[in-house]
Amino acid sequence: MGIKIEDLTVTFRNKVTAINHVYLEIPKGIFGLLGENGAGKTTLMRVLTTVLSPTSGTVTLDGMFYSEGNFRKIQRKIGYLPQEIDLYPGLSVQECLEYMGDLAGIPRQAYKQRIDFYLEKTSLSEHRRKKMKQLSGGMKRRVGLIQALLNEPEFLIVDEPTTGLDPEERIRIRNLLVDFSEGRTVLFSTHVVEDLAATCNQLAVMKKGKFLYSGSMKELLEQANGHIWICKAKDEGTARELEKKYHVSSKQYVGDELQMKLISEARPHIECRSCEATLEDAYIYIANKEAP
Amino acid sequence: MKISLTFQKQAYAVFYVVILSLVRGVTYSNEIGIALEAPMAFLAFTFCADTYTQEIAGKRSEIWRLYPMKKRTYAIYRRIVIQEMFLLAAAAASYGLFILFQNPFLNGLGQGSLESEVCQFLVYFAAIAVTLAFWGLLSNLFACLFRNMWVGIGGCMVLWLLTNSSIGDKTLKAWNLFSYTFRELDNSSDFSWVCGKMVCICIGIIAVAVLPKIIEKRG
Repeated sequence: MGIKIEDLTVTFRNKVTAINHVYLEIPKGIFGLLGENGAGKTTLMRVLTTVLSPTSGTVTLDGMFYSEGNFRKIQRKIGYLPQEIDLYPGLSVQECLEYMGDLAGIPRQAYKQRIDFYLEKTSLSEHRRKKMKQLSGGMKRRVGLIQALLNEPEFLIVDEPTTGLDPEERIRIRNLLVDFSEGRTVLFSTHVVEDLAATCNQLAVMKKGKFLYSGSMKELLEQANGHIWICKAKDEGTARELEKKYHVSSKQYVGDELQMKLISEARPHIECRSCEATLEDAYIYIANKEAP
Repeated sequence: MKISLTFQKQAYAVFYVVILSLVRGVTYSNEIGIALEAPMAFLAFTFCADTYTQEIAGKRSEIWRLYPMKKRTYAIYRRIVIQEMFLLAAAAASYGLFILFQNPFLNGLGQGSLESEVCQFLVYFAAIAVTLAFWGLLSNLFACLFRNMWVGIGGCMVLWLLTNSSIGDKTLKAWNLFSYTFRELDNSSDFSWVCGKMVCICIGIIAVAVLPKIIEKRG
């Protein structure tokens, strides 16, 4: 069943509309939420975790409406890793997770087993006696993710879970999320496109409180295909001209020439060839489609 | 305990009572309670203001919202109890420190026995227990209500200044929150100051009762 969002709007007291009449369906599996900073991703997640009440619109989780009467039932089904979290610095990893497991109302035996399992999965077993304040940013992030998984939630919301992680750690976390998503819904918010490319089939792209796209990764790439061009700039001046005219998703020196990847609806007025779109290209294409 | 009673908090509380017992002069032992009540109240409201707001500062409050209300409330009360027990121990110890450092005249009013001295301490202990509980609960309540530790401290500070003053004494008399401090020292059988402590207990009970609602609404 998953999540269904209908005509959702969130306007803050200062009249800023963070989410503007959006519709979205989040099915089982990993669902990616992509968007620039300030697009409204975190606000959406705060609504989905019942932290924030929407100004208008409805949200349902497995057919259950988000209403005061249902909040407790909904909250029991949710695991949440916020974008920023400072877990008890004076506690060890084990103590911190046990404390949070206890607070979540999980039986002692169950949370102890799950802590052991997830510490092993995230390669933190050997650090379990270390104090939280002694951990690196990436380790703290992993502990944060474990606390979100402790109650075996049906709906897991993770906000930028790979921030501050090295490549190996990122892969480990991504794989853990994929394993966990079986039979569950995982909402994976990030602005790191590679993370979504490696984990999701379905995603939504947000910008200024609206969804620019929601659907399959394949369709998004298909939409962008035919609008991505590779060209070579002979000098800096030409490169600067191209940057003014087009969105450039990448540039690198190949020999003496500067190879650039341009995003344009029509073929640029320069010698170039069309190429396959990556998710990053497709994101830039969708995000800037309406821009002149 | 590691969450609500950090080393820093313990250190500043101990430092505070040691300094207080060194610098605040008393002549008779029955003045110790007067010397301690208001400063200990000050310590209590600064000490307890972050009982829950540390969850907000640490950005954990959004996760806390997903936990059962009973567990959340229990965790907060447990923290308060741990802190209050520590403060009570500090208050008892500081009474001893006053006797040690200031060497006041024992049985100052000439009642003449060790029992009366012990009795005096027990009365002080009961009064300070109520004072500490009241100010700790109140500062936590204010802090939770406004989701800010400094509002908890500031709000209590205003009330502390108002009630721990001659204006507060003249206006509220025996019903003052610091009625024990302003009690009649010459008349040890006058227990009218208990009224003020009853006010503290009543407000404290209300604070305990409304805290879960505030936590639920404000998160």
